[in-house]
Amino acid sequence: MFLVLIIHAALALAVVATRSRLGRSAFALGALGPLSLLVWLTTKSRSIVDGIAHRESIEWVPSLDLVLDLRVDAYALVFLYVIAVAGICIFLYAARYFGSDPKVGTFAGTMVLFGGAMVGLVAADHLLAMFLFWELTTITSYLLIGYSDHQESARSAALHAALVTGGGGLALLAGMVMIGTEAGTFTISEILANPPSQSAAMGVAWALVLIGAVTKSAQFPFHGWLPGAMAAPTPASAYLHSATMVKAGIFLVGRVAPAALVAAAWWQPTVLSIGFVTMVIGGWQALRQNDLKLLLAYGTVSQLGFLFLLVGSGEAKLLYGGLALLVAHALFKATLFMVVGTIDHEAGTRDLRRLSGLRTSLPAVFWVAVVAAASMAAIPLTFGFVAKEAAFDGLVKSGVGLIALASFTSILTVAYTGRFLIGAFGGHHPGHEPATPVGPAPRNSLVWAPVVLAAVAAVIGLVPGLVAPTFDAAVEAASGAAKAGKLVVWPGLVPALGWSMVSLVIGATLVWQNALVQRATDVVGTVSRRLPSADGAFRRGVAGLLSFADRSSGLIQSGSLPRYIAIILLVAVIVPATALFRSGISGGSLPVGGLLEAILGLLIVGAAATLLFTTRRFAAVLLLGGVGYGVAGLFAVFGGPDLSLTQLLVETLVVALFALVLRRMPAVFTPARFERTMRIVVAVAVAGFVFLGGLVAFSARQAAPVSDRYVEMAVPEAQGANVVNVILVDFRGFDTLGEITVLAIATLGVSGLVLPILRTRRDSP
Amino acid sequence: MNRRPSPILEHGVVSAAGPMLVFSLYLLAAGHNQPGGGFAGGLVAGVTVVLAWAAGGPDTVRRIVPVRSSVLLGLGLVIATLTGFVSLVAGGAFLESGYLERTLPLIGTVKLVSPLGFDIGVYLVVVGMSLGLVRALGGEPPEEEVGS
Repeated sequence: MFLVLIIHAALALAVVATRSRLGRSAFALGALGPLSLLVWLTTKSRSIVDGIAHRESIEWVPSLDLVLDLRVDAYALVFLYVIAVAGICIFLYAARYFGSDPKVGTFAGTMVLFGGAMVGLVAADHLLAMFLFWELTTITSYLLIGYSDHQESARSAALHAALVTGGGGLALLAGMVMIGTEAGTFTISEILANPPSQSAAMGVAWALVLIGAVTKSAQFPFHGWLPGAMAAPTPASAYLHSATMVKAGIFLVGRVAPAALVAAAWWQPTVLSIGFVTMVIGGWQALRQNDLKLLLAYGTVSQLGFLFLLVGSGEAKLLYGGLALLVAHALFKATLFMVVGTIDHEAGTRDLRRLSGLRTSLPAVFWVAVVAAASMAAIPLTFGFVAKEAAFDGLVKSGVGLIALASFTSILTVAYTGRFLIGAFGGHHPGHEPATPVGPAPRNSLVWAPVVLAAVAAVIGLVPGLVAPTFDAAVEAASGAAKAGKLVVWPGLVPALGWSMVSLVIGATLVWQNALVQRATDVVGTVSRRLPSADGAFRRGVAGLLSFADRSSGLIQSGSLPRYIAIILLVAVIVPATALFRSGISGGSLPVGGLLEAILGLLIVGAAATLLFTTRRFAAVLLLGGVGYGVAGLFAVFGGPDLSLTQLLVETLVVALFALVLRRMPAVFTPARFERTMRIVVAVAVAGFVFLGGLVAFSARQAAPVSDRYVEMAVPEAQGANVVNVILVDFRGFDTLGEITVLAIATLGVSGLVLPILRTRRDSP
Repeated sequence: MNRRPSPILEHGVVSAAGPMLVFSLYLLAAGHNQPGGGFAGGLVAGVTVVLAWAAGGPDTVRRIVPVRSSVLLGLGLVIATLTGFVSLVAGGAFLESGYLERTLPLIGTVKLVSPLGFDIGVYLVVVGMSLGLVRALGGEPPEEEVGS
């Protein structure tokens, strides 16, 4: 398994490195990634289906207990098969889809990288490793959606997707950390075997995990990013936004549902409600779209809602149908996306009102679309039907409310499937300019890649016994329940069949009475436009955040140096002073000194006091220097020759540098009255705090001073008799390295700020 | 500058600059066992630079320290960091002290400690800082690049 991940990483690099030579053929090279996965799966799947999970482990960051554990059980196997099969077809399709754009190679490499991340996400057995792969899919998805980076719409769609799924990723990380800490392990299989029990903290943690899954799988109320993501080139839409990445959230809820049910009673009703709302909204929106790709995208939202509730409910009988439907959906939806891509490629538009005569000019594409659409509408003898019967069977057993709602969405599904087929391959609408393909029908992977995918679906639809053992094993691996459902071509006269037949008939009627549906959706559409939408909320949220950032930085970053210093000083005083007063100021005796100290003290106080009454800048700087020299004297008296020397030198240098700057400023300063008052307040606060704090700190010492040890260790450890220097270069050498780096940066900063001004002055006297 | 600085002052400073720089090097070398060190030494050299600027302007500064400040800053950081890695390679912690003791003819026993390398880095950065600030704030438009 590690080998597969490494192959993906190496391929991504190779594809990007050779992008200028390969052009769009880079995708053919990239197809080796999912192909290697498929080979690996075929060699291992027998033992995994038998119930022996495949494990691999690498110590990664041992000090953080970060072990890269991989564990592939039958549940993960199902997802890996989807990633591999859909991946191969879509990569080969993409090799003929793109033109000769120089950026194609980078796109191909990013897609390979995404494939690898997806494999890692599914196979990881460590929460944090899984999170890393999870985020990698978010980032690659961002890059792939934003491929047409010259279009503002593509950039904002990419950002939308990245913000929503990235924000959900942060919630997921927080939840994972809480769960891992509570469980005492980050290994997923161990957490599932021994899940943390119910508590308020675990309730929050599972809610955070759920948010991560909901955003990733485009569930209500975060579903808005998925239709926007259709700005991506079609291969990315087919691979990421229908077959794989959006299934990551479903994979996650299915994986953790047994553990979440232990800790959170609300889990199941919440998952069911989210799923149902998403289903209905997606199905309804799909009926209103004129862009074929958007129609499919909303259909995907709807299907994802169904999968989410089936897989995430934690019920084995629902999970069974959910997994089967997930595979069916990946197969037919990726096929249909590729069909739309081919139509777009040949006819130059995806607007179903303009498309015309494609049935005769693209016959192969038409028949593929019919087969895949039949599966989407769950017409008997397709795998979609087999899977939906399994799902409905589970729902019937769970209660009449669930099956009724699911049947209602099935009606919508049938209706938008009809809209898709008729829109794509029927005639154009009156009043719209017809668009027909220009050249002859393509005979390359633009056609046969969807054919292969549809054929796979057709075979397992007719002989579901081929895959049934895998699903049995997958459900058992995820939920522990054996024989939770069955996959059959014809279920016999069971209640579930009745529900699906009724919805099929009503759906077909809706397709037939198309004009009626249009009027209804228009009416509801005008009403619902006034209602708050998820998309609008997102846009308002982002706009609000930006204006908040604008206003707050305008307030804080005013550009006034005195104000900056005042803010810094006040924060530095208020925070520790609050702690000081809360703990209570206790005792502290004033240290008594000798005559020398008294003289130096008077010098310092005298210089400082005179400073208050001077208005000449240069005099102020000199007096400040006097204060500094006084302090240096105190250091010397108290036996710190090193400190004294350094203080003396620093004071000298600072006064000199001050003098350089002051040449450019007015000789006299006259601050306004208000400002003067503010400065006095700040100064008194700082001085008072330092005085009190010093007094308290001296008497509050409990541990032995660290300096004792430094003095002891200086000669034996660092061969130096000057403790101050030993501390600087050895004991705290890292600090010193940081400080000199700051010095260097500050110097470069000053030069960078001042020199351009001088240069312009010289150039334009 | 709107007035020519006094030639006497300029000559005085230039003649004093040599001994001051030597003294700064002495502080650097002695720092491990006596008051001093890279920071103090660098500051003495920095004060020398400021004096030279005050006495004779940029040209005098260039005569005394004929290097660009950015070179000193970069070199200092590189030396300081490399010393840290030397200890790391030798099997100790980053920046841990090591020492070599050799008896040289005529001079006697010399103990070379690795923190000296680190201190040299500190020294160079501090000198580079003074030089850079004097050049920038000193106000003469530079003929060459930044920090020249």
